[in-house]
Amino acid sequence: MDIQEIKNRAEREIKSVQNIEELKKISQKYLGKKGEITLVLRSLKDWSEQEKKKNGKIVNQFKKKLLNDIRELEKKFQQEMPKDDTKEWIDITLPGKKNLIGHLHPITQVKREVEDIFERLGFSVVEGPEIETEKYNFDALNIPKDHPARDAWDTFWLKKPEKEKDRLLLRTHTSPVQIRYMEKHNPPLRIVAPGRAFRYEATDASHEINFYQIEGLMVDKEVSVANFKAIIGRFLEMFFKKSVKIRLRPSYFPFTEPSFEIDMSCLVCGGKGCSVCSQRGWLEMGGAGMVHPEVFKSAKLNPKNWQGFAFGLGLDRLTMMKYKIDDVRLLYSGDLRFLKQF
Amino acid sequence: MLFSYNWLQSFFQNKLPTPKKLAEILTLHSFEVEGIKKIGNDFIFDLDITPNRAADCFSHLGIARECVALTSVKLKAQNVRIEEDKKTNIKDFIQVTVKNKNNCPRYTGRVIRGVKVKESPKYIQERLLSCGLEPINNIVDAANYIMLEIGQPLHAFDLDKIDGSKIIVRRAKNNEKIDALDDKTYRLDESILVVADSKRPLAIAGIKGGKSSAISKETKNIFLESANFNPLLIRKTSKKLGLKTDASFRFEHGMDSNMTELAIDRLARLINELGGGKIVKNRVDIFSKKTLPKKIKLDLIQTEKLLGLKISKKEIIKIFKSLGFEVDSKLQVKIPTWRLDITEKQDLIEEIGRIYGYEKITSVFPKLVLMPAQKNEEIIWQERTKNILKASGFFELYNYSFISKKIGDYLDSNLVELENPFSEQLYYLRPNLLINLLDNVSYKEKHFQKKEKIKIFELGTVFRKEVGEIEEKKMLAGMIFGDEDGFYVLKGVIDGLLQGLGMSDIFYDNFQATPDNSQRILWNLNKSAEIKINGKEIGFIGELSSRILSKLGVKVPVIAFEIDFDKLVGFCSEEQEYVKISKFPSAVRDVSILLPFRVKVAEVLNEINIAGGELVQDVDIFDIYEGEGLTEGRKSVAFHIVFQSKNRTLEGGEIDELFRKIIKALEKNADWEVRKEKYA
Repeated sequence: MDIQEIKNRAEREIKSVQNIEELKKISQKYLGKKGEITLVLRSLKDWSEQEKKKNGKIVNQFKKKLLNDIRELEKKFQQEMPKDDTKEWIDITLPGKKNLIGHLHPITQVKREVEDIFERLGFSVVEGPEIETEKYNFDALNIPKDHPARDAWDTFWLKKPEKEKDRLLLRTHTSPVQIRYMEKHNPPLRIVAPGRAFRYEATDASHEINFYQIEGLMVDKEVSVANFKAIIGRFLEMFFKKSVKIRLRPSYFPFTEPSFEIDMSCLVCGGKGCSVCSQRGWLEMGGAGMVHPEVFKSAKLNPKNWQGFAFGLGLDRLTMMKYKIDDVRLLYSGDLRFLKQF
Repeated sequence: MLFSYNWLQSFFQNKLPTPKKLAEILTLHSFEVEGIKKIGNDFIFDLDITPNRAADCFSHLGIARECVALTSVKLKAQNVRIEEDKKTNIKDFIQVTVKNKNNCPRYTGRVIRGVKVKESPKYIQERLLSCGLEPINNIVDAANYIMLEIGQPLHAFDLDKIDGSKIIVRRAKNNEKIDALDDKTYRLDESILVVADSKRPLAIAGIKGGKSSAISKETKNIFLESANFNPLLIRKTSKKLGLKTDASFRFEHGMDSNMTELAIDRLARLINELGGGKIVKNRVDIFSKKTLPKKIKLDLIQTEKLLGLKISKKEIIKIFKSLGFEVDSKLQVKIPTWRLDITEKQDLIEEIGRIYGYEKITSVFPKLVLMPAQKNEEIIWQERTKNILKASGFFELYNYSFISKKIGDYLDSNLVELENPFSEQLYYLRPNLLINLLDNVSYKEKHFQKKEKIKIFELGTVFRKEVGEIEEKKMLAGMIFGDEDGFYVLKGVIDGLLQGLGMSDIFYDNFQATPDNSQRILWNLNKSAEIKINGKEIGFIGELSSRILSKLGVKVPVIAFEIDFDKLVGFCSEEQEYVKISKFPSAVRDVSILLPFRVKVAEVLNEINIAGGELVQDVDIFDIYEGEGLTEGRKSVAFHIVFQSKNRTLEGGEIDELFRKIIKALEKNADWEVRKEKYA
């Protein structure tokens, strides 16, 4: 019996095996009850001690290797074979593995949406500082010192550091950005300025000492109340994704003339009156108006040459309306049970 | 401010619309009606009067004028006829001197003799109560009633208690005192205007009367004051004394000085009706600077341009006339003096807009030159940052911009202070985002299971005082707690974030001593690092110091980072270039090395890269071990070294040679011991 020949042949055959059936045949052929290697091993006892020692080791080692190779190949072929799905089952009612994705604050999400809509309407997004000078927050906006009009803005004043020239405060609205932007850019202008503002007032479900606003400004040769109605109406429809009615009510802001409050037909009752709108049928969305000539002058623009509208919307309020949040303080509470809903 | 519907009706012969209808009209054209309350057979309107209209509309007369402009009602004549005692003359009873004419542009007075002080009739009491005022007696009630009717604050003095029959309007002397009608004593100074007699102050001008000359049951003869005071002065005094009254509220907004005459005559007649007596002939009237009606010419084209509305001249003239303005065919408008708010053309345009009705202006999109919105890079990077952190499992938080006094005082002295802090809890402006995030952690510890791993972040503004100037910075901060491997998790997040923002040269360096001490108190220096981009520090990462944790009552270790966002944005980049992927095979060799505990892995990596040169394409750490089986103070670190060339297949011999060179270089370090070599 030529052991070497069997070994070479077996190695060759195993290398070219294509599927599990062939593999089984080879296994049978060499290692089965009447397999060639089995027979060789069985015949060992007939050999001389010297041959037994010499060949026995070779054959046994080879048998081991062959078994190993067959097992590996078997595994390989089994993996390649389609399994029988019908025998498997999972409990689909077990809870999913904890989601690793985090959560963005609802104001962030609303701010993005609002910025995106205004960008699509042609407004650039700009920002301004949270600490403002009295000049930008009040004087330049035609809100004179010691005037009762200032009472509408309860202000956090800063202790004056030695080197600062102006009296400083935490901006009470995002309107100073109008002035800052107009000082540096020539019309035509179309901007929105989102950001944090501050009011020194008692907190409750609808008031916080810090909150978010978005300021809007459009300045051109001819910009009218009619234009403002169109833009703000379109914005509200895009934001709430439904058709809404708007109305302007007369109001007073020192930095606009005429000034108005923006009302939107109630999202819930559509104007009939319900608990959400306190039976008014309308929801207050923010303040607006046509840029006051004094404001243009503050920004070194000639009011004879330019017209514009400006508006301010509460981002906290839009957020609360969008998600039906009933207490503004939740937004600043850091409560993860609240935040993980967004 | 509260207004009675029936009272308003009394100004007209014809009927007002129903309360509900009137409320709607006023809301759309004048002032928002915030509520209507039915009291008896009357309806009380709560109107939100804007401060610019105080001079005329802090009164029923003002609202009545609005009704005339907005409905078909016609105002009854407003002049009053009073019966004076022809035999008397006011000069014989009182002498008035106004010392500070700028502070008191007009002072009008009347005297009534022989009144009977008693309760007011029911209708007066009811109207006062409905409008939020307490009835006192017929004299005081009459003064309040006329104030609510016309808007002019009025005051009645007991004539017999005015010393020397003299009224002097002057500045108070320093430390002069007055016992006021609210049972309080006020200490006055030279900045405060008083109405005095020859001896002492009788009233704080325009704000509050004094007790000494108050109307009492025994009062028989009275002196009535109807004056006009400087709004600024009244506002300052009111603030200084912490005393806000119905009178000061009106005066500080500015009142029409032409109103005093009508008001005092109405008052005299009403008192005469309610309490009898005889009105002494003539008025005292010191009117130093007459107020004349302003004239403004309206520009029709500008009006149409600003409102976006075609409107006829005829319509405009009708609107102005309905408001009581005189107007000619050239649209020259004479503004009644009670309309203090109208000072320029735009104000007239607003009158047209609101009376005509903004609801009748049709929405029209502006016709403008196409001008694409500009990208705001900072906001783009900000939003991308938030997205990456969200994808890494972080919750975004919005915290207050304030920190408590307690923690602020502990931190450092460069905090931005408020003149009027909100509370001890919200006292200073936040100098970093970490403190409030930590506060969230301590709060969360109470609300969440201890085992939960939580990651939070905030992007917001912080404030510091730097060499006498205030610095406002945008910061990004975050923290992980409940994770034993927190530092490396967070470092991985930061790597991912910075790479996601287009940065490649990221380096973590030892915490350096800086002149700014504020960071040292926050971090555990042995477990913290500076984050560097292109060699420049942009922030910190590491474990927060035990002192700060215990100060805030946090009981678990917290790993945090804080990055100067403005600096970060400076390094953000959209630019990227494709690097060719090598077509040639790579080979891997592993090396394991025994190191002293405090040797940084970065030092080993550095050696490998230097010795291996450009054919070392990558080095990965695949195992770090310390503990059992190793000498104390030693750790074992294992690396895969990947060899690859960009332009050829490397031969086995070449790789082995390079690998031996690397091992030799590593072994040059005395304390480093290369443990085994494995060929893959």
